[in-house]
Amino acid sequence: MNMNGDIRYYDVRHVKGQTTHIDIDNSVIESAGTSFFSTAVIRVLGSSGWGILTIDNYSSPTGGEFASLLSSAASLAHITTEPVMLADAPHGVLAVPVMKEDPGDVSLEEKTGILGEIESSARLAGIVNTRATYIERAEQVYFVDSSANEYSYEICRSGFNIMAVASRDGNVQMGYERLHSIHGLNIRHQQEMGRLAGVRALSLIDAQAVTGGKMDAILDPELAGVFAHEAVGHASEGDLVHEGNSVLSGKIGERIGSSLVTIVDDPSLHEFGFDPVDAEGVRVGRTTIIDHGIVGAYLHNRETLASVGNGVAGHARASPGEAPLVRMSNTFIEEGDSSLEEMFEGIKTGIILYGSRGGQVDPGRGVFQFNAEYGFLIEQGERKGMVRDVSLSGEILSTLHSIEMCGKERKMSQGYCGKGGQSVPVSDGAPYIMLRNAVVGGSGTE
Amino acid sequence: MRWWVAVAPNEILSPDDIAGLVDTIIRAGEALVEEVEVYITGGESVSAELTKKKIGIATGSKSLGLGIRTIDHGRIGSSGTSDPSSWRKCLDAAVSSGTLATPQEWGGLPSPSLQERPLLSFDPEVRVEAEIAEKAIYKMLKGAEEFPVNVTSGSADISTGYLTLANSHGVRYSTKKSMVSVSLEAISDQSTGYEFDQSVTMSVDPENVGKKAAFFAHHGRSGEDLPTGDYSLVLSPMAFAQLLGNVFVPAVNGRSVHAGRSRLAKSLGEEVADTSISIYDDPFRNYGPGSTWWDAEGVPTRRIDIVKEGVLTEFLYDLKTGYRFGKKSSGSALRSGYGGLPGIGYHNLVFDGPRSEIRDEPAIYVHDVVGAHTANPMSGDFSVEISNPSWIENGDFGKPVRKAMYAGNVFDLLKDIEGIACGERVIGSMVLPEVRLPGQRIIGI
Repeated sequence: MNMNGDIRYYDVRHVKGQTTHIDIDNSVIESAGTSFFSTAVIRVLGSSGWGILTIDNYSSPTGGEFASLLSSAASLAHITTEPVMLADAPHGVLAVPVMKEDPGDVSLEEKTGILGEIESSARLAGIVNTRATYIERAEQVYFVDSSANEYSYEICRSGFNIMAVASRDGNVQMGYERLHSIHGLNIRHQQEMGRLAGVRALSLIDAQAVTGGKMDAILDPELAGVFAHEAVGHASEGDLVHEGNSVLSGKIGERIGSSLVTIVDDPSLHEFGFDPVDAEGVRVGRTTIIDHGIVGAYLHNRETLASVGNGVAGHARASPGEAPLVRMSNTFIEEGDSSLEEMFEGIKTGIILYGSRGGQVDPGRGVFQFNAEYGFLIEQGERKGMVRDVSLSGEILSTLHSIEMCGKERKMSQGYCGKGGQSVPVSDGAPYIMLRNAVVGGSGTE
Repeated sequence: MRWWVAVAPNEILSPDDIAGLVDTIIRAGEALVEEVEVYITGGESVSAELTKKKIGIATGSKSLGLGIRTIDHGRIGSSGTSDPSSWRKCLDAAVSSGTLATPQEWGGLPSPSLQERPLLSFDPEVRVEAEIAEKAIYKMLKGAEEFPVNVTSGSADISTGYLTLANSHGVRYSTKKSMVSVSLEAISDQSTGYEFDQSVTMSVDPENVGKKAAFFAHHGRSGEDLPTGDYSLVLSPMAFAQLLGNVFVPAVNGRSVHAGRSRLAKSLGEEVADTSISIYDDPFRNYGPGSTWWDAEGVPTRRIDIVKEGVLTEFLYDLKTGYRFGKKSSGSALRSGYGGLPGIGYHNLVFDGPRSEIRDEPAIYVHDVVGAHTANPMSGDFSVEISNPSWIENGDFGKPVRKAMYAGNVFDLLKDIEGIACGERVIGSMVLPEVRLPGQRIIGI
């Protein structure tokens, strides 16, 4: 391909595939079906910045037709003024782990039946609604760039959510479990997850709203993972750092937390946020964002690595048909050496929190919020009554100092992360962690 | 300059192409099932994105999607594809998905009842051109110069789209949509400011967006901490939209109501909000972002009084939920894309009541909230971080507050509302004023 003078670089990322979705609501199969997609993103680096085309139903044209697409993108780039440079980065694609059982080999009818068993397991006495959903997305990804790097791979992500709702005297509460995987069909023999959701909803009916204020808090591995994601992960994204929209900007080498705290993002791990190669063809690997309390590196794509430095590229990710952004993948806090018992012993008045309903961060202001599914009060080191609807908020630059203990065992949980209108699969994880003087929000009053 | 200089391989389907495709699919589908519905959507858009004060990315998009729904003996199937030429595979997938669905009471898809009507959510003046987005960006930057702040990011997006809905009873409805939106983020020290504007027409005011984002970033510097306690709040339309959207809207969805997932399920005819308040869906609002004469199933839309002077009067239904529970569709079917089944939603949700000055007495102003999606949609409880908290006094912004969490309950809050400001804003497809709330719990220091 001859490129005209305006085009310094181009790449194409074409994703084809199919999505299967099953929805069972109060034992009614509401839907069980498959949809198909084929969508591409063509990026051209003009004399200044990017001209990008996103095209549904992309037909992989060659020759003159492809050249005309490149010139369309290049003509868009004419309005850009930001001088974009791309850092060199190692290329290469990792093998996608072989699935234990390919969901594509199991009929939709069988999957619907298995999901129905999970759904009915949640229907305990006192439960007024049970809903199970299954989602499976098989993608065939093809990437090529103007430097003749060319990759293709296939990956399938699948999993389920189960929700149970309990209701008494106008008090409505929900219990929720989910499990998603890149390792193949994961819905067999999961009725216990359904039962757990039911039990949780019922027990939340009697839980109290927590009274907001500062208190010591233990976070379970799932919630501590979300904490790492919101409190540190987003603020370490190179695009935000470059824009001056992160409080971690200019903080490389500075201590922002206790030496117990090491936070890592690693898209090469075989967890739900795994990418065999990043969305601009760069080899993926581990980045230690916080190294024993000190800001070690940022997450980068080729552009932000060139403009900001400190870190490696390989963190560009994209939803099918969307332009890549700097994103987290598998983000976690490394293990420490404390036991859960030691954490309880260290707390006079506090709270232990489980599960997550998500979180959000304003990285420029350095303030984040995230929400637990449920928890228990702690008094004199003893677990007391159950509480519901508890949020935590904090400030990025001080919060990691408040981590006093990290547990011995790390566990990863799966989810989706939203940024710039795109949603990508991620996993977050941590051991149990203990925070001193956390800001806890709840609607209860003394 | 048109950004799409070449004839693209997936050139947008012409009206004739669509009409032909629709007839072909419906004929083929009728040989297999009792009823067929076809939904075709497509469009083009262009956007310019800022990296600090320079445009770093210009994007042009072409979207295309085909959705097919089949109904046979009360079994509903669906599929979708971005490749209309593979409609046969899509039709087969829809029929096969229907064989798995639990059969339900079904009274049929609608027959045609609407003549061609004026377009409600489209402005022919909206042109999908990169230079127009570029101009909007520079106007925002100019507006931001009013305050000494750093712009971090921003964007201007222009899109137009078409949509065709057809079924085997002869419905052949088509419409067009347009949307222009601009947004800007700025920072000063550690104080961030965000503002946006959107419109179906070219009436967005980029300069004002830039100015307001810069104002909030500038104003929030050196905020003071606030002791934990109960305070009067003024919620901006942006903050209010997030709380309503995450809790109130799902609670009036007929499917949630009958499935036992709504706290309002048994509250029809009861007071659920202050008696001054009305909340309704107005699908006919001129240039409303969600305005339409027919819903995603071809049912004619109508005004729905969800809350009338504080009393809960109606829930939202689509055909499926309506037939199943013996209710009539309220014309509230919506599609979020071409795949899957339509769901229940609103077209333009309007919040209304007697207007007054609500900024005269001191209150904490809530420009936006962080983490509204973590609210409990069942119980309505939430605790969120406030963006740009600031005192307002005598109608104007006073001292900024450094950091504050707001905890409450959306259902209780509707009963607490003590004032609604003059004016309103369109946020997504909601039309909302500022509201004033007494005695709200703030967690400070």
